[in-house]
Amino acid sequence: MMVLETILYLIAYPPLWHVLIVGLLGAFFTAVVAIWFERKTAARVQRRIGPYWASPRLGGFLNLIADMIRYILQEVIIPRSVDRVPFVLAPVAAFVISIMPMAFVPLSPYEKFWPVPNMDYSLLLALAISTVPPLMSIIGGWASNNKFSIIGSIRESYVITAYELIFVISLLSAAATYTSLNLLTIVNAQSPIAWLLFLNPIAFLAAFLAVLMSTSAFPFEIPESEHEVVGGPYTEYSGILYALNMGGAYVRRFIYAVIMSLVFLGGWAPYVPPADGPLFAIIIPSLIVAIKAVILVLIMSFLRAVYGRYRLDQALDSAWRLVLPMALIGLGWGIVLGLIL
Amino acid sequence: MSLPELGEEIRVRLGVLAREVKVAKGFVEVVTGRETLREVAKTLKEMGFDHVKSVTAVDYPKEGKIRVTYHASSFLNEELSRFMVGLSVDLPRDKPVVETLYPIWNSVEFMEREVYEFFGVIFEGHPDLRPLLLAPDLAEKKVMRKDFVVREESIYEGVPHEYK
Amino acid sequence: MSISEGTLGELRSKGVEVRRIDKEYYEIFIGPQHPGSGHMRFRVKLDGDIIVDADPDIGYVHRTMEKLSEGREWLKITPLVERMTIIDACNITLPYINALEKLMDKRPSTRASYLRVLLCEMNRIASHLYGFGIFGVFIGHSTAYMWGFGDREVFVELSEILTGTRLTYTYHIPGGVRRDMPQDFPQMVRRAVRYMRSRMPEYEKIFLNNPVIVTRLKDVGVITKNRAAELGVVGPTLRGSGIRYDVRLAEPYEVYGEIDFEVPVFEDGDALARTWVRVEEIKQSLNIMEQAIDWLERHRDEPVIPKEDYDKLPKLHKEVYEKSGRVKLLPAQISMKVPPGKAVARGEAGRGEIFYYVESDGGTMPYRLRVVTPSARNAIVFKRILPGHRLMDLPTVYGSIDYFAPEADR
Repeated sequence: MMVLETILYLIAYPPLWHVLIVGLLGAFFTAVVAIWFERKTAARVQRRIGPYWASPRLGGFLNLIADMIRYILQEVIIPRSVDRVPFVLAPVAAFVISIMPMAFVPLSPYEKFWPVPNMDYSLLLALAISTVPPLMSIIGGWASNNKFSIIGSIRESYVITAYELIFVISLLSAAATYTSLNLLTIVNAQSPIAWLLFLNPIAFLAAFLAVLMSTSAFPFEIPESEHEVVGGPYTEYSGILYALNMGGAYVRRFIYAVIMSLVFLGGWAPYVPPADGPLFAIIIPSLIVAIKAVILVLIMSFLRAVYGRYRLDQALDSAWRLVLPMALIGLGWGIVLGLIL
Repeated sequence: MSLPELGEEIRVRLGVLAREVKVAKGFVEVVTGRETLREVAKTLKEMGFDHVKSVTAVDYPKEGKIRVTYHASSFLNEELSRFMVGLSVDLPRDKPVVETLYPIWNSVEFMEREVYEFFGVIFEGHPDLRPLLLAPDLAEKKVMRKDFVVREESIYEGVPHEYK
Repeated sequence: MSISEGTLGELRSKGVEVRRIDKEYYEIFIGPQHPGSGHMRFRVKLDGDIIVDADPDIGYVHRTMEKLSEGREWLKITPLVERMTIIDACNITLPYINALEKLMDKRPSTRASYLRVLLCEMNRIASHLYGFGIFGVFIGHSTAYMWGFGDREVFVELSEILTGTRLTYTYHIPGGVRRDMPQDFPQMVRRAVRYMRSRMPEYEKIFLNNPVIVTRLKDVGVITKNRAAELGVVGPTLRGSGIRYDVRLAEPYEVYGEIDFEVPVFEDGDALARTWVRVEEIKQSLNIMEQAIDWLERHRDEPVIPKEDYDKLPKLHKEVYEKSGRVKLLPAQISMKVPPGKAVARGEAGRGEIFYYVESDGGTMPYRLRVVTPSARNAIVFKRILPGHRLMDLPTVYGSIDYFAPEADR
């Protein structure tokens, strides 16, 4: 019995569990599932089959794994004209920093399973770190020394100005409601079914749109829109570096979704951990959060089959004129909610 | 209105400006001189021929001339849109220079560039006269003229088969 | 870094284009190897995100059609010129055959005319769907792309059943066509028409009425009526600008005069109007196909080549024709001489009006063949309409005029 507990505790050792297991593995798994789902649903809408031959029984799921292996084994071409250090570091840094917010989110109500001893400013910290990776893609684009990359980077920077504010404001509405920046307080307050999604749907919608913009999902796939700027910031990348860039967007989408499911979808609610053993107190809550996050990511992926992409100025216009007021209304309503509750 | 009637109308309208007006297969052919080309084009445009479908050049090495034909028709006038008029001008082969019709018909811009690169006809006053389809070094050879002979390898004998 | 005049001269002598660049603007080259251009290049000058100057540099797939046809026998030109636009091969070659028939004073048999019209309309639909799909993927709508290419297959396969090949039919010969339709062809056509009719509302739902797409296309690339006439644009681009011009209407060739159809015209002149024209034209083409197949079914016994041509055939050829409806060509027809003269003909291809000028000196090959394709005439739109738009509008304008580089370059 002791052995099992020890192993479970080792796995559930908070920093390891949060960042590597839920963060990295979860993100990898989500990226694969999301890409597979995206391709499969798009194929369904478009009356095709989609990925198939690598594993017909699994609906071609292994195709994605094969793709990943191919990216890893592919030759990495670094053009002579690029600025080598930032060119190589940017995608790696972007990928690593993407996962870092996981170190600040609680996946269990018990203190011994927290990666950091104090959760008081966890929402703010998670948000702060999640804003860094897009800067890396700007650096990568700039270091590529390619006209299309630079245009893509500039577009990325425009889009950042638009969505960042929206995302932060709409998440802070939760802080206003519960007068706390502690994610744990926010999660506990929503338990079991008083989720902010139902209490404050406007803020949720604004945050959802901001995530779409931030991770260049359709209809906001603007910085790397293939038909104008080839690959945007990633034009010159190949092999594993390209995979990091491309997968990075999905990882970020997953991390954002985790934050959103904690703030808006009640975290591990309606489940209430009955005891503080590793299984009940951390593994099951983490699974619930991850599933909620995956569902959010899949909804975002599905939009690809339905929408085209907005023009840059139209996207910015709708962000500033439509979504930002939405986020502000969400914040206002959050304050009102806070007064009521 | 039928094609011969249109031909008659054009003959009356142009008067001495046209050297020759005759009804060809599918279009009315108007032949004029280099000096009067613009004036004739202006008259045709006033009649309602608002765009040019094709600027066609034909090389006649035996007669030492290149004939440039502007096939014009109308979009805005439905009656005229049923017909085409070919405005032709004969240019000497060794010095084919003519005034551009770009100010009258904007639609000739790319087609005149084409005739310029293929036949070496120089359109004076054209705003942007440079090769359109060909690379500059090939355009210098005036490839569509009859004396530019294309050698085509026969797939059967490997013996070059020549034609004009 | 500065380069001395000597080096510049040396570069110029090697055929390298050397010019001073404008430092005020950001200049990018889009194409010819770019996912958003066809086989062509745009030289675009940007002021921020606004295009100040666009120079279409076409000719990357120029295949010297005009020069080559001066060395081909009259009948061998059909398979040559249809390579310009293999996705629209019937419409592209028909005016050439018409011009040839004008020179030879020949009229096609009525049944052949109806078969030509039928194939041309199938081609028009396939070509529009192709353009539609490309347009869709240009603005990021992959579903439109897949649907367009998937449904195009229906008509490509119909053409295969009729002519024996999917794209390059070489179907027309002076005075007729090369094959009669198979016995059960009418049912297939009607099924295809029914299928496509049921699909049209779905296209409108997912693409044309999609809010994102409408925002993207509305008021982009506006060509006013007078400007369209001045630039001489053709096809859906022209009719999207409110000009009611369609060669099938202006100068009915074949049997279009006897067929009842409408020419859809939209007044706005923007990318959305041009797309709508194409969708409405697909509907009209379906109507035409139905009328043509009705006539063909009622007149099964009429010949696909004129009587006098049939009489000239030897016994073997007659047998083949009676048995399989296939017209075998005689060797003499390949090296036939055409009376001297010049003729022009025009036709309405999928992308717009195509123009042929054919001159014969009485020989076995044309003295001069001039062809102006719809894309070649629409290329000017890039130069004149793009400046003032944003860079992201470039694919919109490009896709909405359905520019097809091999067709433009000839």
